[in-house]
Amino acid sequence: MASLLIQNARIACEENDDLTPADVLVENGTITQIGDQLQAPEGAKVIDASNKILMPAMFDTHIHMREPGQEAKETIKSGSEAAINGGVTGVVLMPNTSPAIDSAAMVRTIYDIAKRDARIPVYTSGCITKGREGKELAGIDGMLKLGVKMLTDDGDAVPDLLLLKHAMEYASEFDCFFASHCEVLELSGPRALNEGVVSHRLGIQGTPACSEEICMDRDIRLAHATGARLHIQHVSSKIGMETIRWWKQMGAKVTAEVSPHHLLFNEEDIGDYDTHYKMNPPLRTAEDNKALLEGLKEGVFDIIATDHAPHTPFEKSQDFVNAPNGITGLETSLISLFHYFVKTNEFGWGLIVNRYSAQPRRMMGLDPVPITEGGKADFLLFDPEGQTTFSSDYMQSLSKNTPFLDKTLDGSIDLVVLGDEVLLER
Amino acid sequence: MTRKDLLDIESLSREEIELLLDQAGPFKDLFTRSVKKVPALKGKSVLTLFYEPSTRTLSSFEVAAKRLSADVTNFDVPHSSVVKGETIKDTIDTLQAMRTDYIIVRNKMPGLPQMIARETKACVVNAGDGAHAHPTQALLDGFTFREVFPELTGKKILIVGDILHSRVARSTSTLMRKLGVEVAWLGPGSLVPKHGPKEIERFTNYEEAMRWAPDCIYLLRVQMERQSVQYFPSLREYTKLYGVTPERFKRIADQGTYIMHPGPVNRGVELCDAVMDYDRSLINQQVENGIAARMAVLYWLKPDTPTS
Repeated sequence: MASLLIQNARIACEENDDLTPADVLVENGTITQIGDQLQAPEGAKVIDASNKILMPAMFDTHIHMREPGQEAKETIKSGSEAAINGGVTGVVLMPNTSPAIDSAAMVRTIYDIAKRDARIPVYTSGCITKGREGKELAGIDGMLKLGVKMLTDDGDAVPDLLLLKHAMEYASEFDCFFASHCEVLELSGPRALNEGVVSHRLGIQGTPACSEEICMDRDIRLAHATGARLHIQHVSSKIGMETIRWWKQMGAKVTAEVSPHHLLFNEEDIGDYDTHYKMNPPLRTAEDNKALLEGLKEGVFDIIATDHAPHTPFEKSQDFVNAPNGITGLETSLISLFHYFVKTNEFGWGLIVNRYSAQPRRMMGLDPVPITEGGKADFLLFDPEGQTTFSSDYMQSLSKNTPFLDKTLDGSIDLVVLGDEVLLER
Repeated sequence: MTRKDLLDIESLSREEIELLLDQAGPFKDLFTRSVKKVPALKGKSVLTLFYEPSTRTLSSFEVAAKRLSADVTNFDVPHSSVVKGETIKDTIDTLQAMRTDYIIVRNKMPGLPQMIARETKACVVNAGDGAHAHPTQALLDGFTFREVFPELTGKKILIVGDILHSRVARSTSTLMRKLGVEVAWLGPGSLVPKHGPKEIERFTNYEEAMRWAPDCIYLLRVQMERQSVQYFPSLREYTKLYGVTPERFKRIADQGTYIMHPGPVNRGVELCDAVMDYDRSLINQQVENGIAARMAVLYWLKPDTPTS
């Protein structure tokens, strides 16, 4: 694509919720002009974006692509196509593959596959411990030398505090940070749902919120003591949010993420054992939803991340306790955030651009991609008047385990551009 | 007023519960006749699918189905393809192909009967799913309680023991409350759920619970296997604090309080021997009523299977 002219767009930025009307000209992958009534160069592709919103593309730091090891659920190829479909042009993979990403060799393997199969940049995190077993430190230096920034045993907390302390003391010397999936396994039980009225009604031992909160406090305390940077993954409870707020006020080097599903759903949605609402940490209460939203708006949560966790229909059709945890998120996140929060004036586009595009990139040591002259073209066009039905055909992920399956929400992603390539146009 | 499945008590209305209890009465009367069968389900097939060991519930369902003239097949789970790794979904497909009319299922997984019910046209009866529900036990308990107390509103039942893991406690509490009976729970703090219905009184002390003046004490079986997780320090301590000891039994007998128990009983743990001979013990009556209540359930449900 030599050049692309987007006319009559409304441009979103992270600084505020204003949408600035303008035409945007892209030449050879770079935004060369922003202004009124721009003339299309000869041969340029022209897109009428009247009433549509042009914004920096999203970046998701919490993605499971299941390759290697569980390619029936997702591959780097299908996962990156799902990302594009959801307006996401950069992802960070979690290392709980099989084998786990715990060495330079595994990081290299991921990057080789991504180079071959993915149309977007794919980054990976690396394990803290070998095989995520919590027993021996992983090959940290080798992974960091290949550009890994985030170390995590995601899916599990590191149970051995002394080992975690040593990891933090060792690795804080390098340019990296830790990410914690917070959970005290002894308190978690079968890891199926929140301990509360719904677990009582369904007769399943629930996981109390304190399982997550105790671990969160523990890990932040340890990071604070060792000077390590720590990121808390998918916070699900009000006290968890307050814990992070308190530690930030104490000056701890801690960041945190919230997922769309923990903002949108709660334990009541499980209804009659619907495994599409089974995730870890589990969905908690309506009061927690409210607190998490408040935390997002106030900046307690630095980023939004989906914890995109594909599973096959067969696996999710098991009984509730045995069905695997997690739902897909890459393709539904932006549209659901618009439908439930932007449209209802809970927050504006500025927050989305900041928490789901700019801040995640900064966290990973990358530059944000604002719509600005001289900047790289890395954006999407969103139609607030459109609608999207999340049918099996629409979704590019190999897995369809989402509560939004076959539901229609307002908003559609009509165009995704990265550099000089149009990744998606509908 | 019919349904395809009986999966829990929560989804039943008071009218439906009363209808079932009313229907159990004539079935119980049948037991005293020389011919104990009626042809109500003649030609219908009933399949029992028990993934957990059970003696009394399985036999009770089998007798109930046979007294309704149904053909009963016990799906032999320990010798079935399930042990070869067949998934529940595959099993359901197999059952569907067998065109059975009723499936009676017991499994340790909460919600499994719901899952089967969604996938099959046969009537599904939950015979116990993990700690979730045991609706026919609740119905037989309600039937038994109503035999003693025809006017239920305002009566009081105290359920004692491991409430947390007990599907019996959940279903029977729900049914009793729906019928206007006041329910209280007594047990170790670690085994009495915090998140249950607010209307249920909680006691952790026997003295307080007895001052509440229950009309009936429903003792739950202490599940010995739970002891590995240390919900309480020892069986001896459990009996001391929550068991019907000879001293407590004297007071219970003096107050004329009835005793119920879903069985099997751990003698010397949740109750002392003397309780078994107590004239206000309803334990054997519960077993007999189980057959009548289950007959009423099978008679009431209507399968969606083809009739021609």
